[in-house]
Amino acid sequence: MKRITTLLTGAATLTVVALGAQAETKVAHVPGGPHPFFADWEPASIAAKEDFNLGAADYKFPQKWELNLQNDLLESLVTQGYNAFAIHPGDPVGSVPTLNELVGTGAPVIAVSACVNDPSDVSFCLASDAGASAYTGTKHLIEAMGPGTRKIAHFTGWLVEPNTQLRIDGVAKAAAEAGVEIVQVIADIDAPEPAEEKIGAYLAAHGSEIDGVITTAWVPAVVASNAMRRIGDKRIKMVAIDHDEVVMNAIRDGFVVGSMLQNPYGQAYVAAFAADKLLNGCEVSADAPFTSHPLTERFIDSGAPYVDASNVDTRADVDRAMTEELIRKVEADFLSCN
Amino acid sequence: MSLVTSDARKPVRGPELMRLLLTNEFGLLLLIVVFGALFYSVSSGFLSSFNLNSMSRAAAINVMIGFSMMAVIATGGLSLAVGAIGVCSAMVCGWLLQEIGLPWPYALVAAIATGAALGAINGMIEVKTRLHSFIVTLATMSLFFGIMIFLTQAQTYRGIPASFVSFGRMKVMGLSATLGPTLVVAVALIVLYNFTRVGKEMLAAGAKPQAAMLSGVRVGRMIVLAHAISGGLAAIAALLLVARNGAAIPSMAGQQGQDWLLIAFLGPVLGGAVLTGGKISVVGAFLGAVLVTVLSNGLLLMQIGDFWLQATLGATLLLAVLLDLARRKFLERRAQ
Repeated sequence: MKRITTLLTGAATLTVVALGAQAETKVAHVPGGPHPFFADWEPASIAAKEDFNLGAADYKFPQKWELNLQNDLLESLVTQGYNAFAIHPGDPVGSVPTLNELVGTGAPVIAVSACVNDPSDVSFCLASDAGASAYTGTKHLIEAMGPGTRKIAHFTGWLVEPNTQLRIDGVAKAAAEAGVEIVQVIADIDAPEPAEEKIGAYLAAHGSEIDGVITTAWVPAVVASNAMRRIGDKRIKMVAIDHDEVVMNAIRDGFVVGSMLQNPYGQAYVAAFAADKLLNGCEVSADAPFTSHPLTERFIDSGAPYVDASNVDTRADVDRAMTEELIRKVEADFLSCN
Repeated sequence: MSLVTSDARKPVRGPELMRLLLTNEFGLLLLIVVFGALFYSVSSGFLSSFNLNSMSRAAAINVMIGFSMMAVIATGGLSLAVGAIGVCSAMVCGWLLQEIGLPWPYALVAAIATGAALGAINGMIEVKTRLHSFIVTLATMSLFFGIMIFLTQAQTYRGIPASFVSFGRMKVMGLSATLGPTLVVAVALIVLYNFTRVGKEMLAAGAKPQAAMLSGVRVGRMIVLAHAISGGLAAIAALLLVARNGAAIPSMAGQQGQDWLLIAFLGPVLGGAVLTGGKISVVGAFLGAVLVTVLSNGLLLMQIGDFWLQATLGATLLLAVLLDLARRKFLERRAQ
């Protein structure tokens, strides 16, 4: 009896010690600044906290898209006790020193929806392959325009945003392969005012000279979708990015051919899951099947499905399936938990 | 240390201790301690080594930005272009490092020289046109920033040497190593304004330009020099920011460098500088900027939104200006 009691006491002690060793995970989801793309991060944080039994999972964003503000916010979050981070870096290089500092405090850091340049101490980058997505979207646009000599315009996001140059390169590659001429690239317009002004002015002056529009940032996609609806003749074909309801409705009504999705909800949700695992004993697998990316060798492609009139009404199912597949893939292939 | 020109300097009677307790510097020190204790009581992480390092790094930059404005305030002017000059200098540094491949010590010197030159341009325009520095620097803020954006195409320079970036992350006794250059500059400014003729002439030019001119002070030259010093200090602040970020980024001080303006005024004004010129306090400006850093950090830790943070800092500036006004009236009454 005494032996059994001793065994039970020992087992209970071990259990308490083991439970005590489990750090209470407090995940912060931090984008580079306020932007509609990240609207899904907040519900993803809430869902992740509940589903993965986290101590906290909060969406915190700097008031402006400015690297210094993001750095200040990240440093204050460490002091507030957050110990795991899912971050959209404000700059692919400029963010690295601060992210390394966060890792230095013992917090796992995952770059989400945009990557940082190697070398860095972040665990990995979980994002859509921005260049490949832009390339595929342009291919869809070229197909929609049909054969012949074609001219397109490209409207894209902030030049300081890590993905923008990759998108410009992706569009250029697809156009070059098909012999399509990019007559104009308008960048730095991922905000309503510059997007309205520049896209409106461009289409008013040169709309008759182009056959297609590719947009690779959220706000230009919304503004250009509205412009296509206003023009109304559906002569100019357009492929957008992301899932704003304006874009989805324009696809339903035939003013926009399709859109390349990114699933920000799933990215944030899965990043919280992975960050929790990494904080509590798991490691990135030594033989993790990372894919190649221009910025980093530790890239997990979260996928970029194409939505058009045929599947626009089942987009939520597409996102859900992507998220489930992504969480399974990350757990099975990229994490090693003993 | 408080520097007062002869017209405003009046002997204050009373015990030495009372004089010390009535100084701006002591008041600021007290406020730093009070707010520090308050924030520590709300969040024990306030005094964690991580936060002390972060705060000291931010303070190093804020102090330097404050010094940059203080140098112009000394001559009775102001410079709205400190942010634009700082960013232009940082971009020059980034360009020299990344595109030209210059060793970083040379690039730093060139960047500081650029800042000083741009500041001197402000001073020369002010002296030649006799326009107020507000108008001159409002114009050059847009001009400098616009030219920089045109030349760089708003590209970020990321080819900053690792040794330079690691300096931005280095710790000495738990505090950021970036405090080192700031302290060196602070000592240099104390020497300049306290123990050199040119420093005293700058203050004299700010206090009573006509009287200074009659005394043989070349007021115009002093104004140009003050702006040049201001530009050089703005460049150093921007370089500290480059070391922190590991990149020279056009938006590092906000649109046209305007994000620096509030902090640039807060440090020296809280520190007891008289906005009409002639009186500044290097130690006061240092402590003023540290207080602002502590406030900003503490409010962030309390998860108070950016709007309230800006509102608090704005209210602090207004309060400091009103206190400055009250102090001057008090001194005038004592002098009568």
